[in-house]
Amino acid sequence: MAVEPAVREPAVAFAGGLGIRLRRFGEISREVLRNPTTLIGLILIVGMIGMAVFAPLLIEPNTPNPNQMPRDWGALNEPPGTPGHVLGTTQQGGDVLYGVIWGARTSLRLSLIVVSLTVVIGLIVGSLAGFLGGRLDELLMRLVDVFLSIPELIFALAIAAVLGPSFGNIILALAAVFWVKYARIIRGQVIHIKQNEYVDAARVIGDSGFRIYMKDVLPNSITPVIVQATLDMGNVVLIGATLSFIGLAEAGLAEWGVLVSQGQAGISAGRWWASTFPGLMVFLWALAFNLVGDGLRDILDPRTESRR
Amino acid sequence: MAHAPEPAGQTHAADAVASVVGLKVHFESRAGRVHAVDGVNFDIRDGETLGLVGETGCGKTVTARSFLRLVPMPPGIHAGGSLYFHPHQRCSHCLGAGCAVCEGTGRLPVTCSACGGEGCRACGETGVKTIDLSTLPEKELRDIRGNRIAMIFQDPAKALNPAMTVRNQIAEVFYQHRTQEVLERARLGTRPNPLLRRHAAQRSRLIERALLALPPLRMQRKRVERVIDDMVASALAETQIPNPSKVMERYPHELSGGMKQRVMIAQALACNPDLLIADEPTTALDVTVQARIIELIKELQSRHKSAVLYISHDLSLVRRICNRVAVMYAGRIVEIGLTEEIFANPLHPYTRGLLAAIPGRSHDRGQLVAIKGTVLELIDPPPSCRFVERCSYAVAVCAEVDPELEDTHDGHGVACFIHNPPDMAVELPSFSKLTS
Repeated sequence: MAVEPAVREPAVAFAGGLGIRLRRFGEISREVLRNPTTLIGLILIVGMIGMAVFAPLLIEPNTPNPNQMPRDWGALNEPPGTPGHVLGTTQQGGDVLYGVIWGARTSLRLSLIVVSLTVVIGLIVGSLAGFLGGRLDELLMRLVDVFLSIPELIFALAIAAVLGPSFGNIILALAAVFWVKYARIIRGQVIHIKQNEYVDAARVIGDSGFRIYMKDVLPNSITPVIVQATLDMGNVVLIGATLSFIGLAEAGLAEWGVLVSQGQAGISAGRWWASTFPGLMVFLWALAFNLVGDGLRDILDPRTESRR
Repeated sequence: MAHAPEPAGQTHAADAVASVVGLKVHFESRAGRVHAVDGVNFDIRDGETLGLVGETGCGKTVTARSFLRLVPMPPGIHAGGSLYFHPHQRCSHCLGAGCAVCEGTGRLPVTCSACGGEGCRACGETGVKTIDLSTLPEKELRDIRGNRIAMIFQDPAKALNPAMTVRNQIAEVFYQHRTQEVLERARLGTRPNPLLRRHAAQRSRLIERALLALPPLRMQRKRVERVIDDMVASALAETQIPNPSKVMERYPHELSGGMKQRVMIAQALACNPDLLIADEPTTALDVTVQARIIELIKELQSRHKSAVLYISHDLSLVRRICNRVAVMYAGRIVEIGLTEEIFANPLHPYTRGLLAAIPGRSHDRGQLVAIKGTVLELIDPPPSCRFVERCSYAVAVCAEVDPELEDTHDGHGVACFIHNPPDMAVELPSFSKLTS
């Protein structure tokens, strides 16, 4: 009987919007400091990104290609603590410390490229589907369903394997897998936000559809994307390391997954260090971004405010 | 004037700013077609406040939203009828400030371009520019929205973008409709830089914005911004917001409900519209704030002489501010007339029931009167009078034929066989005999 379809329930989820959230920057940083797990994650991230950015200052870059592991043929399988090789060497004579530090650089590059690429693709696809709706929405979302129906690791593995072993192909494979999540999130948010009365109010003052999208819809639907992007900064490295572990990156690349895979043969012989340190880095990287991502979700989502 | 039923596209009163003629808006649902608005006729005269009253779901909001084509289609269907609107333009003598020529309103009617004021088919013999809002192309409709027809929503907390400052939300209206005026007031000459022109309409791309951040354009851009700041501040000052230049830097969540509604009103009236649609603008507010907002709307209305379509279910409120009242029931207008007439001499049984239900009028304290029964299902309704099942005076003919809205006297229209007997030899209903 109530035939007033334009008047709907108020937006509860993420109703605050990014604008206010940014304005509350001081408040947010205080909340981060109050939450110990987020703080730990943040410290880890700052440390590891610092390591990646300042890698050339921390350790002498390998020539000609600093992304390749240096080879010290005179020091194979040295244990940690050896002079010149603080964390020991691999069975090819690669310095584990070099791999750990330059691996951070590789991981940062990988995660930044993949996440920014997937966010952009996801934003475009999700916005088109959610804002325009109709048949385009059906089409795009069925496409997304197809992508989502295959486990992401296996899908990325298949793509990377088809493209051939190289680090660039790992980036492509991961980008092809990860964008669907953003498309999903953004579409849901856009559909939710565009039902708000302020979108009608914007139409009432004569705004065009594109302007309403840029001014009213996007800023108010972006928050969960930021959370997901933070979480994915960790996930991408985790899956990227998995792919290079099974040999889909160039051999000799200063990358944590490659190092773990090189060192695994020596574990049974007691040479634990070559796998452990890079493995630990992958673990810390994924952990750090997950901690911060969860923390951000709690802080940015007003629904969870009462929980703390 | 209340209309006798006419074929769509026919004449309407010359002093009307907008005419609704046979408007039908339906909704497709799984259970069938919902006749939410089913043949509504009324005029809104220039400068008057017309109250549209009725209970929840009777179609008053859908009618109001149809003016700006805000009803989502689908599931909505424009099933027939037209919405004629006579847009005014800024007075060329005083540039909107208000003078003798435009009688202080700052607006002048536009002559029909097809006949030059003679009166023709295109303008429905009125001689003024007439547009049909139900068929107008979207692009031209956007020039009307917020400029000639503005709207205030029920809940100001939901109608303001939480991520934008008050200044930017009100400035949006000027960006959309007052680009030329902004450029003139910023004294940028008759042919300003295209970059600045685009900036004043908020169409700048990223690179242009970067260019505008550099001297010498930077100074001119600042001038444009300052003009807009001034315009926003004066729009806010109109609504008696204290300290407008400070309030405009705030975000909606930092303001009280009453303040937010004032911001909405400031935005709606920023371009001096011909018609303001107020969809229950005080329902979400405290009673004390309500009274002040009502006073404000009343005062601004008398100053700008805009026509106001005031939608409400609060009869005592409507009585206070409206010149005329239209009573809606189940997608139809059942009675329309001057406020005093309606309240002193209600003709339709439904209106009588509504007035009797106002607490504290004619019955004991603590006792509430209600109209018996429930509202008719609007899914594929029968051709009977919509009120027949709840009406105490209904007779056989009421269940077979739907009475049309017809004039009784002095523009007081009613859709009931008690007052407008059908041309048939049947038993007629009357207030003197109760049935059921």
